[in-house]
Amino acid sequence: MSARRKNQPSPQSALLRSPRMLLALIVGVAILVAALMAVLSQLGGAGGSSNSSEDVGKLYSGIPQNGTTLGKSGAPVTIYLYEDFQCPYCGQFSRQMFPRLVEDYVRGGQAKLISEPLTFLGPDSVEASKAALAAGEQNRYWPYYSLLFENQGEENSGYVSTSFLEGLAKQTPGLDVGKWDATRKENSLESELYEAQAKARSAGVNSTPTLIFSGPGGQETIAELRDYEQISQAIDQVDGA
Amino acid sequence: MAPSSKAAPRGGQRALRVGLGALAVVGLLISAYLTWVHYAAVAPVCVGGSGGCETVQTSSYATIFGVPVAVVGLVGYTGLLLSASLRGEVGVYLGFLVALVGTLFSAYLTYLEVFVIHAICEWCVASAALMVGALLCATFGVLHLAKEDQAGEK
Repeated sequence: MSARRKNQPSPQSALLRSPRMLLALIVGVAILVAALMAVLSQLGGAGGSSNSSEDVGKLYSGIPQNGTTLGKSGAPVTIYLYEDFQCPYCGQFSRQMFPRLVEDYVRGGQAKLISEPLTFLGPDSVEASKAALAAGEQNRYWPYYSLLFENQGEENSGYVSTSFLEGLAKQTPGLDVGKWDATRKENSLESELYEAQAKARSAGVNSTPTLIFSGPGGQETIAELRDYEQISQAIDQVDGA
Repeated sequence: MAPSSKAAPRGGQRALRVGLGALAVVGLLISAYLTWVHYAAVAPVCVGGSGGCETVQTSSYATIFGVPVAVVGLVGYTGLLLSASLRGEVGVYLGFLVALVGTLFSAYLTYLEVFVIHAICEWCVASAALMVGALLCATFGVLHLAKEDQAGEK
């Protein structure tokens, strides 16, 4: 038996000697690797809208919310966020840096955030902002804000539909959807948007996202946000502690 | 595997390797540009000023556990370039494997662009086309190798 084995190629080497078997092996490995990459992309990329509701609940848990203000009212640093809900870079900031900003500075009471929603990209920005402001009437602005950016589509593609906004409202923890739906049709929300635009004009804001930091040490503006370090430095400078 | 002497560089095989190498270099340039765009947080240049590139590059699918997809592209095109620089069967089969993985993953990314993100990034489409071209080169390389093997056996 052992003599016969010496004269015959092992099954493994026979596999590699056959071009067809080798090709089949390569195709199988390629499909497996590509499938694994796609699965990793789904798990580690999107996060999935199904988890968003739970995620935003955790992010804002225990932090005071009052309308469009997030954080303790006595926080020494105030950060004004000028954003458009359709702006891709605002979405990137919201998804990648915002949760860290909340955990590092807002939760501990060093800073509070005030959102100033802008609507320069188009009518869908108005509808998205009004939906968020309506949630703010129930002090649920910030979870809705996060959900809008988590589920952001291409600007002015029509993704901001009534069903889209209602879907996010249903995912917003603690939001009375019926009351929210009635509020978002009120004209008073439009005047809030005009106010935000007027503030942006007077502050010289001409791009989004723009972050304005105000505190005992003065004022700082970030109009071209590249990394989180810029935010940390600006807070340290205006905090003056 | 057949002895390496059978896979000595010949005209057709060399042309395919050069083609594969050229596609890999162009793909590396695109991936390097998109990697720079990601880390510099600047808007990618898009033909016609479309916002599709920005939407795709800033979407939550642009990274996998914090690693930009453009970096995955850099790794893939480096693998293709390496395979193009290798003579013989190892280079041909490595090129085929990398190009097939790249094409399948590019198909998945294109599906995301069209049906999930609802935006098209021209750089990503160009990269996907390069991967399909690389797969064609690699497939011809495998077929060429099979012909050489058959000729060698005769």
